[in-house]
Amino acid sequence: MALFKRIQSAIDRGIGRRRLGYLLLGLVVLFFLWFPNDTSQSNYAKTVFISGFFYAILSSSWALLAGIAGQFSFGHMAFMGIGAYVAGLFARDGITFAALGIALSPESISAVGAIIIGTTAAGLVGLVIGWLLLRLRSSYLALFTIAFSELFRIAMLTEYDFTGGSNGLSLRPLLEVADVDTARQIEYYLMFGLLIACLLVMYRVTHSPIGIFLRAMREDEDAASALGVNVVRYKILVFVFTSMIVGLAGAIFYSDVGSERIIPEQLEVLQMSLIIAYACIGGMESLLGAAAGAFISRYLLEAMRQVVITLPFGLTMADGSDAFVWETGAWRFALFGLVMVLTLRYMRNGLLYPIFTWFSGRDLVMKETVAKRKHDEDHAAMLEDQDE
Amino acid sequence: MSEINLELNKIAKRFGGNQAVDHVSFSVTKPQLIGMIGPNGAGKTTLTNLMSGMLKPSSGTIYLNGLRIDGRAPYHVTRAGLGRTFQITRALNRMTVMENMMVPGLAHEPGARQSDLEDRARQILSMLTIDHLTNEYSRALSGGQRKLLELGRLLMLDPSVIILDEPFAGVHPRLQETIYNYIHRVHEDGKAIIFISHNMGAVFELSQRLIVLNFGALIADGEPQQVKNDPAVIDAYLGHDEDD
Repeated sequence: MALFKRIQSAIDRGIGRRRLGYLLLGLVVLFFLWFPNDTSQSNYAKTVFISGFFYAILSSSWALLAGIAGQFSFGHMAFMGIGAYVAGLFARDGITFAALGIALSPESISAVGAIIIGTTAAGLVGLVIGWLLLRLRSSYLALFTIAFSELFRIAMLTEYDFTGGSNGLSLRPLLEVADVDTARQIEYYLMFGLLIACLLVMYRVTHSPIGIFLRAMREDEDAASALGVNVVRYKILVFVFTSMIVGLAGAIFYSDVGSERIIPEQLEVLQMSLIIAYACIGGMESLLGAAAGAFISRYLLEAMRQVVITLPFGLTMADGSDAFVWETGAWRFALFGLVMVLTLRYMRNGLLYPIFTWFSGRDLVMKETVAKRKHDEDHAAMLEDQDE
Repeated sequence: MSEINLELNKIAKRFGGNQAVDHVSFSVTKPQLIGMIGPNGAGKTTLTNLMSGMLKPSSGTIYLNGLRIDGRAPYHVTRAGLGRTFQITRALNRMTVMENMMVPGLAHEPGARQSDLEDRARQILSMLTIDHLTNEYSRALSGGQRKLLELGRLLMLDPSVIILDEPFAGVHPRLQETIYNYIHRVHEDGKAIIFISHNMGAVFELSQRLIVLNFGALIADGEPQQVKNDPAVIDAYLGHDEDD
């Protein structure tokens, strides 16, 4: 502890915590940029990372919606699905607006065009859902979005001829690169770039006046409204914004970037619960925390598929080996659940919150405030003594 | 000095069979300190909610500076120039004191520079003697300090009419003095203040005009001494003998 305090005071006197934080963040980004160039890494490892980036986008955008704006929605995966399904259906079937005399054949819609259409569709549905949710709060909002999410999943599952049912729907591939290794590398950078872009845009929003209004809305909608905040506008805005982010992520990821097809199973409430869990573990009120929580959790869940346990004290198995392989199966999710329970019980702001707080120097500001108050109390006591 | 013209015309609010506010009419045309009193359940807070847009009236109209505000959303009423506090303090808990101040500041003046708004917020917090808590989360504040924060937030809106719902309730005497000073200072700045209180000492000390409600109806409106001797007011507070 004494060593930690000495290191801490050296950092405070030297580079400063905030600058050190940015430096470390820069190193993490550099690591991710370097990673696919490491020839010892398999394509499987890159696939795990791509999946991690995708879930980091989902989790951080949910953190914006629920953790920062206070709209505890279970519909996030459904919006992701809308983006992917609409992109896939448009690219496959095209669209005809007879009344307007517009007819777009499937051939005339590129993969990028389909992704844009999918993203727009997710935003439009977000607009409608946001409007319908205006008068709903807390548990009612959660129940409504669960119902909406299930309704969408069942529709995709049941309309077999149209959506492919449980077999899922293939989207038009975004990249057409023959070499598998090169394709993986490009896909990796594409998803990583998308994650960085989404985080930057969301960071910009949360650090603008809109971010302050969203947090005020989360704390107390009536009080925010009485202070001049147009709650209706910002509630709809945050739904549309986050729906478009996950719609875009879904449309890109399933355009053969991270996965070759979207299946209704991805839209189950269980999947949504995982997104929430990632955000809670990382930190629901922090975009970076939620993104890191999702990426690390995904990585660990993947790494824990098989656990090799080496026996201590020279013990051996019946076959003479000194280690055994544990196929964790569903147990890794049980362990993940335990981490979630402990996090919510003991560190409600997420496991990464103390780290972010330390790097932001927030605890120093609080200490300064407390010190000032102590000073004020001393001053007041001195005045009272003088009066006597 | 901002223009003041608040006019309530036969405002009524009914909750099922309960007539919470019964066709109340009054107007405020100059910077006055107006006390609003009445026994529990008289309809004071309901009337405040109607004026601030938290509730829609069953009938009647409210105009503020020529703009009809009854039934408009609270943020609309606030931007039209009417600010309010709540009976139970509603600080934005997981936001710092400065962030609490910035919410109305940014909502009221979207184009203003953040540093200018922060400077103004610091001045207001200093006047309210809570400037040392600027970076503290508002959940860490005491009840009285939260009241002061609510009052400070109002000044960021620069409203022409301010409604204070029980500003002295549960506040330490030393902080009550700060609230007294606040009310005087804001009034000197040319704002009309309507304050609801059960603290009769404060009501008679501060008010230039007194409005009395009972069972949702306005039973007296005038100078404090005149209202004090009004038989209807005495009856409302002390009750009347069944034989009378």
